[in-house]
Amino acid sequence: MFLQITSRPMPLNRKRAIGCFALVSSLLVGMVGCGSKTETSTTESSGAVAASNLTGTIKINGSSTVQPIANAVKEEFAKLYPDVTVSVDGKGTGNGFKLFQDKETDISDASRPIKPGEFEACKENGVAFIEIPVAYDGLTIVIHPKNDWVDTLTVDQLKKIFVGPDAAKKWSDVDPSWPNETIEIFAPGTGSGTYDYFREVVIGKSEDALRNDMNLSEDDNVLVNGVAGNPYAIGFFGVAYYEESKDKLKAAKIVNPKDEKAYLPTPENIASGAYAPFSRPLFIYVSTASLPRAEVATFVSYFLENAPSLCERVGYVRLPDEIMQRGMKNLDEENAGTHYIDAEGNSRSGAVADIYQPENLIK
Amino acid sequence: MSSIPDAIVNQDAKFLTDNAKRRKRLSLWFYFLCVAIALISVVILIVLMVSIWSQGQSRLSTDLLTRAHSELEIERSGMWPAILGSLFVCGTCAVVALPLGVGTAVFLEEFQPTNKLLRWIHGFVQLNISNLAGVPSIVYGLLGLTVFVYMFNVFGQIRVNESAGMEIMGYKHFYQVLTLEPGHVVFVPQSDPTKRQTTFDEPFQAVDPDGNPIKISIWTPGTPKPSDPAIRRQTVRAGAIGGTITERNWYYFRLPFDKSFLSGGLTLALVILPIIIISSQESLRGVPSSLREASMGLGATTWQTVRDVCLPAALPGIMTGSILAMGRAIGEAAPILVVMGAAVAKSSGPKHLMDDAVTMPVLIFNWAGRQQDEFKELSAAAIIVLLVILLLLNSTAIYIRHHVQKAQS
Repeated sequence: MFLQITSRPMPLNRKRAIGCFALVSSLLVGMVGCGSKTETSTTESSGAVAASNLTGTIKINGSSTVQPIANAVKEEFAKLYPDVTVSVDGKGTGNGFKLFQDKETDISDASRPIKPGEFEACKENGVAFIEIPVAYDGLTIVIHPKNDWVDTLTVDQLKKIFVGPDAAKKWSDVDPSWPNETIEIFAPGTGSGTYDYFREVVIGKSEDALRNDMNLSEDDNVLVNGVAGNPYAIGFFGVAYYEESKDKLKAAKIVNPKDEKAYLPTPENIASGAYAPFSRPLFIYVSTASLPRAEVATFVSYFLENAPSLCERVGYVRLPDEIMQRGMKNLDEENAGTHYIDAEGNSRSGAVADIYQPENLIK
Repeated sequence: MSSIPDAIVNQDAKFLTDNAKRRKRLSLWFYFLCVAIALISVVILIVLMVSIWSQGQSRLSTDLLTRAHSELEIERSGMWPAILGSLFVCGTCAVVALPLGVGTAVFLEEFQPTNKLLRWIHGFVQLNISNLAGVPSIVYGLLGLTVFVYMFNVFGQIRVNESAGMEIMGYKHFYQVLTLEPGHVVFVPQSDPTKRQTTFDEPFQAVDPDGNPIKISIWTPGTPKPSDPAIRRQTVRAGAIGGTITERNWYYFRLPFDKSFLSGGLTLALVILPIIIISSQESLRGVPSSLREASMGLGATTWQTVRDVCLPAALPGIMTGSILAMGRAIGEAAPILVVMGAAVAKSSGPKHLMDDAVTMPVLIFNWAGRQQDEFKELSAAAIIVLLVILLLLNSTAIYIRHHVQKAQS
């Protein structure tokens, strides 16, 4: 009795189970076909406009700060050269250089110049590269619009506000003429490149941390609203973001340690290098071994031609034409090596216009 | 007399009713507490849904479903490649994890160990699975990186300009040479795969993208340059360098897997394998042993019993566990980030087996961290899409389960 009831439907079930499995796998295979089909159709339609049959794959990894610029260039590039696959990842500058040394990428994005150790590793592995600055990124120190006592800030004053456990608790601790009110600080999270960059400028190379009683947030909106909500607050973030919240906040002028004058983070001041030390150049490092490949060469020259206009559209500041020209010259002549390390193997620091000079090139 | 407790001997009606009231009140309070606790999770869920909906509903458009991530036209950014990518990754994950998971559960539950060695293996596997279920998924990401992405470098490292790993099928190598016409290239089939670059000084035979042979002539700088585009397309500069490009069929297969959707899917399979095994074990344990004994008693082998009695009876439970596990797989971001990276600007789904992909959680993670308000709203909208897709997949699976259950009874 029992057997009759159960054994009957069993073969049916087995068929069903096999059917389900076949369904799932055929769906998967079908999707592969569907994916490639849609691709060819788009290729054909845009290929008719662009008429370029260049193909190939370009691998880019590195700074997540540079990633939007590379993505923007890729996007425009794809309209002209639809068959070229450009993969832009953003694992961070350091990780990017590691992959670059291991010959896993054609181009490495960097939000800082290559370090001596990374340069040595590249040499050991036989990876030669061309170093090209592509845009500027600036850091804005923001205060409340009602804050009328702070007009300019020096790096030393910032150090007093931001560094160490005995940092200034009140504005009057920084400057006796300032109000006797508690400073509230809003800063990007410790994992962000912006935090690292600020720390490096204010503290230098030591491993000290910034004070730990700040309001940290990865969400820039929190920082904007935090500073906008308290007249005694101060904070910092990328210049691109300040542009979007100008009506709520005031940017502090920063005293340039070289000429002792204070400058606002305007695009002009950032481009001229006057807004120091809180502006930094962003780079791409192109492997010379990849340059003979038609798709890489075409992409990199396209990158350099269009970086000034495209970087502004994703919120960065364009480099002066003169520096872009030097970059293109280095690309054309395949001048491999870095400008940011001297003959003794130490890092150079300073404005990109001074350092990115042919005589500073070290192979 | 003395053996009867005092409370029973001296009980009075008032004390009894008071005590009963007190106990009932306590029970009622406990009931309310349970309801409140149950409601908290529902309320949190509702708050979450409402806030995401209010943030993201303005961005729900056909653009979101049909277009790719765009840096320059943020308001028209979409997640189509991510939807495809997630389906591919989770499809791979399901195809691998379900048979493996159910198979392991059958081994552990239905094939009882008969000797010392087998018993030891049993215990060892069981112990490992229980431990693996609690391992954070990021650890699986690192495991997937060495096992699938690099394969311990056993098959060689994939390096640009040097080696593409051990290619097995579905590929064709060409040298790509720029002609005098800007943006136009010709291809030369490659005979020696170790030679990644070649120089052209003599006229040669090439093919156009459709595979038709064309004769290519050489132009030496200094001599007059041809001006007709048709001729320029068949002329290259003397000393032009041809770099390797690879034409890949959809079944292109290579070891190691590198940062492909296969690597991602296999890593996710590792993440959900313990969940599937444990839930399948539970439902197999729920099959009454009388069924097994009856089958055995009629002379069926263990395999026949498993196939015709145990598995069908346990199928609903197995499917429930699998649905939950797949829900987890489709939402995982951490191991995918480690294994496949965050190339979110990919404009299509995977085109071949070794192609990379962007998945929905990774895209949402990237968008949520952007500065622009548009991207933040887009990430909320993408979360809604992810939830809807998850719901659709789950209800399909539940529908199938009901069907199977009905056919069984």
